[in-house]
Amino acid sequence: MRIIVPIKQVPETSNVKMDPVTGTMVREGVENVVNPLDLYAIETAIRLKEEYGGEIIVVSMGPEKAIDAIKEAIAMGCDDGILLSDKKFAGSDTFATSYVLAKAIKQIGDFDLVICGERATDGDTGQVGPGIASFLDLPLSTFTSQILSVENGKITVKRLVEEGYEEIEMMLPAVLTVVKEISDPRLPTLRGKLKAKRMEIPIWDAQKIGAEGQKIGLKGSPTRVVKIFTPKVTREGEKIIVKDEKTLYQAVDRIMDYLIKKELI
Amino acid sequence: MYNKLTPKIVEELIGIVGSNNVIYDDPEALEAYSHDEVAEKHYAHMPEAVVKPSSAEEIAQIIKLANKYKIPITPRGAGSGLSGGAVPVYGGIVLSVERMNRILEIDKENLVVVVEPGVVTNEINNAVKEYGLFYAGYPMSVETCYIGGNVAENAGGGRAVKYGVTGRYVIGLEVVTPTGDIVHLGGKVMKDVTGYDLIHLMVGSEGTLGIFTKIYLKLIPLPQAKVDLLVLFEDMDTAIKTVPKIMTFGRIIPTSIEFMDDLSFKTACKYLNEKIPFEEAGAMLLIELDGNNKTELEEQYEIIGNLCMENGAIEVYVADNATTSERIWRIRRNIAEAWKQFSPHQSLEDVVVPISEIPTFLKKIREISNKYRVPIPCYGHAGDGNIHATPIKPPELSMEEWHEKLEKLLEEMYVVVKELGGVISGEHGIGHKRKKYLPLVLEPAHIEMMRAIKKALDPNLILNPGKII
Amino acid sequence: MGEVWTLAEFRHGKLNPVSFELLNRGKSLAQKLNTSIASVVIGYNIKKEDIDELIARGADKVYVVGDKRLENFIVETYARVILRLLDEYNPDIFIAAATTTGRTLMPYIAVKKQTGLTADCTVLDIEEETGNLLQTRPAIGGNILATIKTPNTRPQMATVRPHSTKPLPPDKTRKGEIIYKQFDEEVFTTTTKYVRFIKDKSQQINIQDAKIIVAGGRGLGKAENFKLIEELAELLSGAVGASRDVVDRGWKTYPHQIGLSGKTVSPTLYIAVGISGAIQHIAGMQTSENIIAINKDPDAQIFKIANLGIVGDLNEILPLLIERIKEYKKKEANLNV
Repeated sequence: MRIIVPIKQVPETSNVKMDPVTGTMVREGVENVVNPLDLYAIETAIRLKEEYGGEIIVVSMGPEKAIDAIKEAIAMGCDDGILLSDKKFAGSDTFATSYVLAKAIKQIGDFDLVICGERATDGDTGQVGPGIASFLDLPLSTFTSQILSVENGKITVKRLVEEGYEEIEMMLPAVLTVVKEISDPRLPTLRGKLKAKRMEIPIWDAQKIGAEGQKIGLKGSPTRVVKIFTPKVTREGEKIIVKDEKTLYQAVDRIMDYLIKKELI
Repeated sequence: MYNKLTPKIVEELIGIVGSNNVIYDDPEALEAYSHDEVAEKHYAHMPEAVVKPSSAEEIAQIIKLANKYKIPITPRGAGSGLSGGAVPVYGGIVLSVERMNRILEIDKENLVVVVEPGVVTNEINNAVKEYGLFYAGYPMSVETCYIGGNVAENAGGGRAVKYGVTGRYVIGLEVVTPTGDIVHLGGKVMKDVTGYDLIHLMVGSEGTLGIFTKIYLKLIPLPQAKVDLLVLFEDMDTAIKTVPKIMTFGRIIPTSIEFMDDLSFKTACKYLNEKIPFEEAGAMLLIELDGNNKTELEEQYEIIGNLCMENGAIEVYVADNATTSERIWRIRRNIAEAWKQFSPHQSLEDVVVPISEIPTFLKKIREISNKYRVPIPCYGHAGDGNIHATPIKPPELSMEEWHEKLEKLLEEMYVVVKELGGVISGEHGIGHKRKKYLPLVLEPAHIEMMRAIKKALDPNLILNPGKII
Repeated sequence: MGEVWTLAEFRHGKLNPVSFELLNRGKSLAQKLNTSIASVVIGYNIKKEDIDELIARGADKVYVVGDKRLENFIVETYARVILRLLDEYNPDIFIAAATTTGRTLMPYIAVKKQTGLTADCTVLDIEEETGNLLQTRPAIGGNILATIKTPNTRPQMATVRPHSTKPLPPDKTRKGEIIYKQFDEEVFTTTTKYVRFIKDKSQQINIQDAKIIVAGGRGLGKAENFKLIEELAELLSGAVGASRDVVDRGWKTYPHQIGLSGKTVSPTLYIAVGISGAIQHIAGMQTSENIIAINKDPDAQIFKIANLGIVGDLNEILPLLIERIKEYKKKEANLNV
């Protein structure tokens, strides 16, 4: 089984700090990591490989330092990695990014599955996975929470939807975006790390993947950012501190008043 | 032997620090100053008053006052101690340094930072970071503890293997003596044998010999990169035997080498729903390296990792980014919390034995654990032999039964420690929690020396009485 | 000037109420552009009253494609049907809800139309001078808002965060045009097979549709304590949410997770219990209309965004609150007798 896993390197946002003055993200000291939601895609691919054999290729579009992300995936158990890097890619929106990744995947060729994380924690759009499927004209299962079977050229999966799960069967090759529920990512081992460390990661540019100039980068992006600003999240609501019986009852009374006043009960 | 506070004396205190900075006759407010983070309530004791001075001069006046009226004074930092050091066991005055929280100077030429005792240790590193500098002596409870408390307890913590403990970085002190004089020890000098090394007599004196009002700390360059290894072993013997090899064959001194016995990490991993194959392991080492660049660290962790594998490790996991590093450290950090689900009452111990004796000690602990039918998860700093053996109260025991049991159990534990050439506290201090056990482990003459020093400096024994000796 | 289109989601034989919210959004846009607002509804067994409901909620037109082969959502076929409609009528704007369907279908279509798409918008507006759609969405975990437009390609597409706006009250007197469309075989051919739907019993009320959410975090101490959360949620007929931390610990399943790596919600009321409010979590719920936070740590981040914050022990507060709500409900019930 040949699996391609597109991943993204993102700033580590779990403890992101915002500059109160400029309202921008404090990049200083913020390190880059593999998009946490991509780890589930990587793990899913590794488990499929363990069960059915085959090969996993990680692709990532980004600057040269994104090689760290690719190597982390290889350390976990992926076989190969390709970095898609080119000044011309800069400023790509989800359309252009899907296009570049789709072109690269075509270039790699001869694959059974493309497995993506559900979305990246920085952009948070979740549009690239479906975009790739659309560019490649492949069947797509988003929000995939379980792989039920892979047999005679078909894959059956469970999708996490609003009120429950949907089970669908698709012909291979197909594209999956997966959610956390599908797997528990493993930690990279020493062996894996050393293997990754010694590995040369090829860098493919626009020409190598045969990308049309008017479909990549800012030029190839249908969307434009007009402005960026910081929302006022703080509400400065009231706070009641429970010290004893008395304040406890006051607090609960206050909650009740609130619920009733706002007709929430 | 001590006198009670009178409204008149309180008036004088107010005269010194102002009415806003004296708490008196307000049980609810005083309660907060009656204990530190030692969970057991019976170690707590209410103060009669709390004063919050803002300068050495005010402290000197307060101490003179206390000497005059024979009122005990207990200095207090953040109250995050683990030996009851800040508990006013004889009542009297708690002297809180919370208002003395300024970073006075960051001297980039001499690589020294001068701070007041009430500065949160973590703040020091936040402040010096932008100059590429680093204060390396800080313990683990960085979020809350004050530097004053760190110096008073000579706090250690996870990074002691490479960086040593607080005392190593204290090169100068301004101290108010138990008789109310202000003395200046050391300063911005890196070497000083001009007379007795009183600085390091003060460091770790648990507030019994003086109150620090200025602290001069040595700074070092801030490490640029960090890697953590989580190493699974079949048993503790194999795990511990690799520790010296890392330093000798590996020629590397890690920032920290934490170990966890199976009781510790299995409970934590289950609690965290961690999916690494921990069930197969009998011991874990958590090795942290820091350095100036990634490549340097890659070479180092390769050497260490291979050493571990050659010496019988089951698996070595490598965490070189925030995601994986957090996942690894979370196991170590959640041991106590995980056990709280089983029983909220624990006695966090702090013994130290020679590194090579750790396995023997742990075997003995198992025997004690079985004998008393009390679970005793053990974890701590394998790099320096500091073990946090933590007897957990079995839920079925009543508090009375528990304290009775615990006392006997600790006594046996400490005897074992002594036999193995260890000490009963490595970084938390004696305070009054472990006071009664001191004779078990120290020679009479040793204790006498300390008594003599105490009497010489504090004739009226007003400063933090009831601690250590 | 092309029309403004909204996707009306039709699943399991009924319209998804978010479709009405979209109509409200679309209507204000259509008015600014003085063009008409249309809903596209595709599926199987679409009843006349469903279509009338869309009109009553503000649609001037409804494009209807009913077919057995559209009974269940399969992205390729749904996309082909909609692409046919888009090619035929060339709307100027096409919006859908940021549901699992919307977030799957819209990017698939946008690529085929080679046009722009903005995900999970919380504000939509029209740029006066150009008439372009201004699409505002949170990014970097809600730390910033970005306003985005699609200047040169059509339609301008966006998915809209459910409950970021209210539906219009139904107006039965409204008249609207209904266009029924049929398509030939090839539109429906697909190799993908829909096998079945499995209801998640733990989600009696789906979190993203819930008006009220009671969410629990690590402060609960252990999995068993989620009973309190569940009881409170049930009393308020709300859904149960969870922080990443407790889902990681296995105290609650992933479908309940709210935050950066889970679901994004904006209910009328969000009660956060024992949740410190890591950016991770706040990103997923900060647009809630009312937030009540219960936490023992007075400095917990969650209090910064709470309308009402209670600093205290949830094990004391929750049981009492539950008891009080029960009393209140009993009283109400008696009054209504």
